Amino acid sequence: MPALNLPNDPRLASIPVIQSRVPNPEELVVLSKPLLDATIAAGELLADCSAKWAIGGDLGEILFGVNVQPDHVTILTTANGCDEINKKLAAVRVEAPRTIERRLNRNAEIQPKPQPITIKAYTSQFAIKGQKLEVHGDLQIRVGEWEWGDPIDYDPEYVYVVGVKVPVVPLGLKKDLYFGLGWLDRVKKINEAVARAHHKIV
Amino acid sequence: MSTVINEPAVDVVCLGVGYMSGVVATELARQNYKVVGITKGPYWDYVNDFSMTKYDEWGVGLGRKYDSPLPLQSATIRNNSSQFALPVRRYTMPIQYHALGHGVGGAAQHYGGTMGRQGPWGYQQQSLTASKYGSTFLAGINPQDDTHDWPLTYAQYEPYYVEWEKAHGLCGNYNGSPTNSSSDTNFPWMSTNYPLPPHPLTPIANMFSTAASALGYHPFPHVSALASQAYTNQYGVTVNPCVYDGYCGGPCDYACETGAKANAAYRTIPAAIKSGNFTLVTNGFIFRLDYNTTNNQVTAVRYYDAQGNIHVQPATVFFNGMWGYNMIRSYLLSGVGTPYQYNSGTGTGTGTIGRGLTNGYLPFKGTSVSGTLNIGGNSYPAGNGSGGSVDIYDLMDDNFDHTGLNFIGGSQVGMGSYMGGGPGNITFAGGASSGNMGSTFKATQQNKYLPTKTSVGSTPLAHDLPTFMNYIDLDPHYTDAYGDPVARITHEWTANTYNGATYLVNKVKAILTQMGASNVTVGSTVSPYSARNDWWGHHLRGGCRVGSDPSFAAYSGYNQLFLTATSGVNIFGAGEITNTTGDNIPSGTHAAGPQSYRAAEGIVKYLQNVGTSGVNYLAA
Repeated sequence: MPALNLPNDPRLASIPVIQSRVPNPEELVVLSKPLLDATIAAGELLADCSAKWAIGGDLGEILFGVNVQPDHVTILTTANGCDEINKKLAAVRVEAPRTIERRLNRNAEIQPKPQPITIKAYTSQFAIKGQKLEVHGDLQIRVGEWEWGDPIDYDPEYVYVVGVKVPVVPLGLKKDLYFGLGWLDRVKKINEAVARAHHKIV
Repeated sequence: MSTVINEPAVDVVCLGVGYMSGVVATELARQNYKVVGITKGPYWDYVNDFSMTKYDEWGVGLGRKYDSPLPLQSATIRNNSSQFALPVRRYTMPIQYHALGHGVGGAAQHYGGTMGRQGPWGYQQQSLTASKYGSTFLAGINPQDDTHDWPLTYAQYEPYYVEWEKAHGLCGNYNGSPTNSSSDTNFPWMSTNYPLPPHPLTPIANMFSTAASALGYHPFPHVSALASQAYTNQYGVTVNPCVYDGYCGGPCDYACETGAKANAAYRTIPAAIKSGNFTLVTNGFIFRLDYNTTNNQVTAVRYYDAQGNIHVQPATVFFNGMWGYNMIRSYLLSGVGTPYQYNSGTGTGTGTIGRGLTNGYLPFKGTSVSGTLNIGGNSYPAGNGSGGSVDIYDLMDDNFDHTGLNFIGGSQVGMGSYMGGGPGNITFAGGASSGNMGSTFKATQQNKYLPTKTSVGSTPLAHDLPTFMNYIDLDPHYTDAYGDPVARITHEWTANTYNGATYLVNKVKAILTQMGASNVTVGSTVSPYSARNDWWGHHLRGGCRVGSDPSFAAYSGYNQLFLTATSGVNIFGAGEITNTTGDNIPSGTHAAGPQSYRAAEGIVKYLQNVGTSGVNYLAA
């Protein structure tokens, strides 16, 4: 059957057009495949871990739709949890657990002047699916010369990553933390994600 | 001044950007092929486009403000080939209930999210029926029968099901298979469970589950495409969970303002865009495929932009992911494939494009059973469009003996879903009656939200079988906004649907009785063709079927348009539900979905061979 007459004259239909804007790639929250694979592997390997643990860091945020770009996997747990995870992930361990103190690259942006941020944790490092995995037990934070804060504690929330149930540090805790550090850009990113998940205009 | 614009050639062009194109575009773009997707509507941002404007029953349910505008294009409908087909001029009762989608995500922007795999029998229903009940059985129960097997078996499609379910984050817990092994030929066994758990069950769903189990059936939670939990799919796309606000399914078919309702816009297309290899064209109305009949090659697709310019987009391969009758129309307008020709004198037909039309939305009327449960409570219609209920597959497919019966297949039966229609529940679905207008309506509203009793019931219609007399062609009288003929739909539900309900209603009656329902009553028998239905749904199936033989099927086992056993066209397709050959499940989308992965696989094979070996057809 031949095609019907091919209209070569441009035509304007008299109908309403709904304007739209296609998002730019950087606006879309998509986790990279290497970190996705590492997250799934961690979730499967630690599924029966008895200690409390959860995905933290930027990875924990992107799993809840926050538009950040993680470059490694971070797990927050207790000191005992760090030891238990070390046993489970012994085959992929890079650094044995030890207590570390590390100054972060970004200062607390607080008045009257910015202050350095130091973290202290019982930490070990792994390479899982080719990705760096840091496990922090009893992570504490200190701003400037103030006293160390209590070890970070939380009730994990859960995200299903391609069918694997993974505990994640709650966004509410991260938001409070960032607010206290004066990282308002990060607070804003979390607020945007929460709004998008709870039918509020961004 | 409007003009003609020639676009640069790419590897693949996707016609439409709904569920199926979303998979193909994403799979191909992530393998570094250059892909263009063209949709006639906008890109919807679920927050900024829906958050504040969706709570509008009038605008959404009656005005269909998010859906495909009928002034742009419509379709005409008739019951048989001797009638004059009338155009659909509004998305309300009577005639038309469900609207086509518009823009990225397509109709899945507004559906209820119901899913459910097709069982093994559905893929081989013609051969299995013939071998068990005789070669004349189907012809005996289905005048002008045109039923055929699929080109692949359930076991062959099963891995593609898994990918589809992972991509869209389906919720459920297996499908009731007693063994869940590949030796189960009755139930859709699963090599991998659904990636998300089911939604919380309602009290009625639990009662149904207990009663069904007591009767030897195999209940399982209703499968839903509305994310029950926060989710990340295999493409790394993050998904918000359902907020159970109630404005979801029901007669209005609301869009989702958190992106929990699975569709291409919020599951696959973000990954395609992120790849850097995908270009999305919005407000582009496709009107022709440039087709070279000497070598059976489509060279370009033509579309109008919002300013009326014509764009010519060439590609190596094309994927037709438009909604059912628009896919068929695009081929008929462009001279691609062999159009179906019905011969009313012989009750047979030839050709494939438009052939084998069935309707997944079953008639509004049929033999039904109802009862009353003495449970009350707050029935504020929150929840969502496809959660909370429990189903059984025991009364569908060939999961019970059909010897001596006048139908084949049966019905998925389920109960206990959330109301999910939004406060007020516009009652236009079903047409005007004394029950949904005037004083009677007001009286029933008075105690609507704090009832002490709940009505339950079912109309277990069997599936609509393919026949020669139901088909799609081009309407000779009505045109779209650009002057091209619209699709003409010739369809009447087959006797199988009604006969199934008349038999199965007593099976459901037993379940209601087991649940402790009172006043369990079977309604008057509705015989085939005894009552004209005053509504018509958009859940078309068939019309561009997959199959092993191009004498009856438009698409091969790789969903490539084929012309003979050895020649094909460089276009693949898996439009929503378009390729099924009649099935029993409520969601043809779920059965169509795996084909999009199959088509993506075929397109890659095609691209890897074309130009090197001259291959233009992939044997499945």
